[in-house]
Amino acid sequence: MKATKNSLALLTAALLITLTACSSGNQPPANGNANEGSGAAAGNGETAAPAETADPFGKYETPVTINVGQAIDPTDKSLPQGDTPENNQYTRHIKEQLNIDTKIIWQTASGKDYDQKVNLSIASDDLPDLVIVNDAQLRQMVKAGQVEDLTEAFEKYASPAIKGIIEKTEGRALDAVTFDGKMMALPSVTARGDAVHTMWIRKDWLDKLGLEVPKTVEELEKVAKAFVEKDPDGNGQADTIGITGQQAGGKLYANFLASSNNTFGLDPIFSAFNAYPGFWLKGEDGKPVYGSIQPQVKEALAKLRDMYASGAIDRELSIRKDAAEPVVSGKSGIFFGPFWMGYWPLPDAVKNDPKANWQSFALPLDKNGEFSPHMATPSTQFLAVRKGYEHPEAALKLMNLLVRDEAKFDVSVSLNHYPVRIVYAPVDEIEYSLNALKEVLAGTKTAADLDIPGYKLLADDATKIGKAKLEPFDNNDIQYWNTEDIGIWSRMYSIFVGGAPLLEPRNEVYSLVYSQTKTMESRWANLEKLETETFLKIIMGAAPVDSFDQFVEDWKKQGGDKVTQEVEEETKG
Amino acid sequence: MRNRSFEKHYYLMLLPGLIWLVLINIVPMSGIVMAFQDFNPGAGIWKSDWIGLENFEYMFVLSDSKTVLLNTIYIAVLKIIGNLIVPLVFALMLNELRMQIVKRWVQTIVYLPHFLSWVILSGILLDVFAFQGPVNSLLGTFGIEPVLFFARADLFPYIIVGSDVWKEFGFNTIIYLAALTSINPALYEAAAIDGATRMKRLWHVTLPGITTTIVLLAVLSLGNVLNAGFDQIFNLYNPLVYSTGDIIDTWVYRAGLLNLQFSLATAMGLLKSVVSFILIVVSYLLASKFANYRIF
Repeated sequence: MKATKNSLALLTAALLITLTACSSGNQPPANGNANEGSGAAAGNGETAAPAETADPFGKYETPVTINVGQAIDPTDKSLPQGDTPENNQYTRHIKEQLNIDTKIIWQTASGKDYDQKVNLSIASDDLPDLVIVNDAQLRQMVKAGQVEDLTEAFEKYASPAIKGIIEKTEGRALDAVTFDGKMMALPSVTARGDAVHTMWIRKDWLDKLGLEVPKTVEELEKVAKAFVEKDPDGNGQADTIGITGQQAGGKLYANFLASSNNTFGLDPIFSAFNAYPGFWLKGEDGKPVYGSIQPQVKEALAKLRDMYASGAIDRELSIRKDAAEPVVSGKSGIFFGPFWMGYWPLPDAVKNDPKANWQSFALPLDKNGEFSPHMATPSTQFLAVRKGYEHPEAALKLMNLLVRDEAKFDVSVSLNHYPVRIVYAPVDEIEYSLNALKEVLAGTKTAADLDIPGYKLLADDATKIGKAKLEPFDNNDIQYWNTEDIGIWSRMYSIFVGGAPLLEPRNEVYSLVYSQTKTMESRWANLEKLETETFLKIIMGAAPVDSFDQFVEDWKKQGGDKVTQEVEEETKG
Repeated sequence: MRNRSFEKHYYLMLLPGLIWLVLINIVPMSGIVMAFQDFNPGAGIWKSDWIGLENFEYMFVLSDSKTVLLNTIYIAVLKIIGNLIVPLVFALMLNELRMQIVKRWVQTIVYLPHFLSWVILSGILLDVFAFQGPVNSLLGTFGIEPVLFFARADLFPYIIVGSDVWKEFGFNTIIYLAALTSINPALYEAAAIDGATRMKRLWHVTLPGITTTIVLLAVLSLGNVLNAGFDQIFNLYNPLVYSTGDIIDTWVYRAGLLNLQFSLATAMGLLKSVVSFILIVVSYLLASKFANYRIF
């Protein structure tokens, strides 16, 4: 089977070579165009500039076809009748503006299935022209020589808006895609808000039991126990959960490879002990150390073990199939997640119980009284171009167009139908939006003031906030929200309630690296398994706390020391 | 001579099947060479670096390898035994029933789980054995503290074996029942006239009558059982039970498909094939020795 795939790939490659001959006239001398600012370019995207001048929004003279692999959310019903993933408002817009036809050569459900399909495509060397990959996949593809160098294309074709967004990450986004000084993929840039995991808690339950918002881990444990024992939902049955943890296959904490958006993890409890498992930190001697083998983690695990034993944490931690289920059905009182929980799972929770008053806090605090979350790399997704594809600049044009026109799209059709879309957002998008929208509510600003490049949804938000937020504007409890249009409510609740903790002072902890080193490629999976297994067993009482010491020893022996050395070399350079 | 021409057209009829076998089962076997390479998908099988036994050496350094191998064999052997004995006993008991209508109904009902996939059944099982599920509330009425079944590494293999036997025994029962109908009723009558009790008839007439079927089922299950656990375990396990529940197939899935360690996964898969091969040879030797069953 492998052999046939290979000969097929050879054949297609041969075909492509003959095709490229027709279209290799790209020699763009003028990049002054790119520096003029997005405003000018955005205004006249219609004028079909010839491709030779390296216009970031230039329309191809002859149609260009791009083969893509696309992830489709199977529950998404937003496409209007007659439209398909291959032919919808986004693909038509792309055709009209850029003269690019996107052809979906395979599609899968988003999430695990998509990753698996990409892995298979890598293994069989049968890649689409453009494909979205994660860090490990990108590394594998670079090693295998399967991706096109985008250094030149990025220089010439990236729009000022995209360059600006990438620059704002202080080199983090570019680091992730630079191999031997060459840019091998386009990095996504997500808002910083995705990285900060905060405590979401049922404030109506707190009020009912006469409790305060817990500030420390000790208080958190007490509140969680009260939620379990004192029947906060008032149905006379002991069926409530204190803290809901991750589901089967979920992560106990975000790690340096998947550093943001860890819903239902216990990250904030670890960071309250200044423990950062899964992250690479600077040790006392200035050399890199791995967070998971530090003594603070042992302390945190011991505490989590107590909390689990006392029932404060969900008994079915890591076994439950769907961690959102108890939240939606009103059985859970506390969980941890990023700001966007207003999009999911809270809409369903509020539909089930309009009084479920979920509020978010930058808590619990560590022993210095500070909130010290771990922070993420801004880039978790990468748009890679298949080696040998004749129009690498098309990838940039697609993203330029997306960033320029995103605010104008009718997003009732899910943006996920934009072919090979990766997220471009200013790092402070949520905080900035929250402050601006507060001013809109106060009447000191209007939508017209908020048409700011990069913050693409803000002006639109400004027209909608009035439909979702009820007076008094300084109180975000659920009864002061209009949930009639749940779509508008989702975004506004995420920004106002989920975003509020982002304005609090915090002591940010970054990982020294956010990608794999060479030895990790072969050893990391097994080291990670050792870690997950040990930590879960300790928390759930299947192994003594002191098995942590054995874990540290095993971890070092089974390749951890070598990996640490490599990280040291990498951070030196 | 007449015989030989007769054989020819049988061989011709066999041909499509043989071609299919070669294309689907034999040709992909060449992928085994990946186990001895540092497989690079960009370079393909022909150009990847040859590293000899390095993958195997690393595999044996990993404490995982021994664990998954032992887990696989342990669960496999228990499943073989369970799937042989439970349906046999059940078929014999059904066979003794006088009311045909009850027999038919029971037969049909126990057969049903066979048609459900593990994806569905695992969801049901997880709920049934959940912390607040029916099993635990039943235990609760006897004053037993609730047990978190799927977090208990010591119980996991038995849940796996038990649920697999529960799912499949109805199917195997039907095969035994079919074999039982082929026993000549005259034998029973003769035994009864000679004064044999029901138990004696069971022992001396029924069991010898279906020995071939038992052996056949045993041999077939031995060859297949190392393939059979993946869906089930993959849908039921979690990191807490890796120590007793992680089998070769799930390990290969994680290493190869999730972590892109193609060569290491292939090496482990090769190890599995070797174990399967040994199991089949052993079962065949046993079958020919004890039941006089021969393929060749």
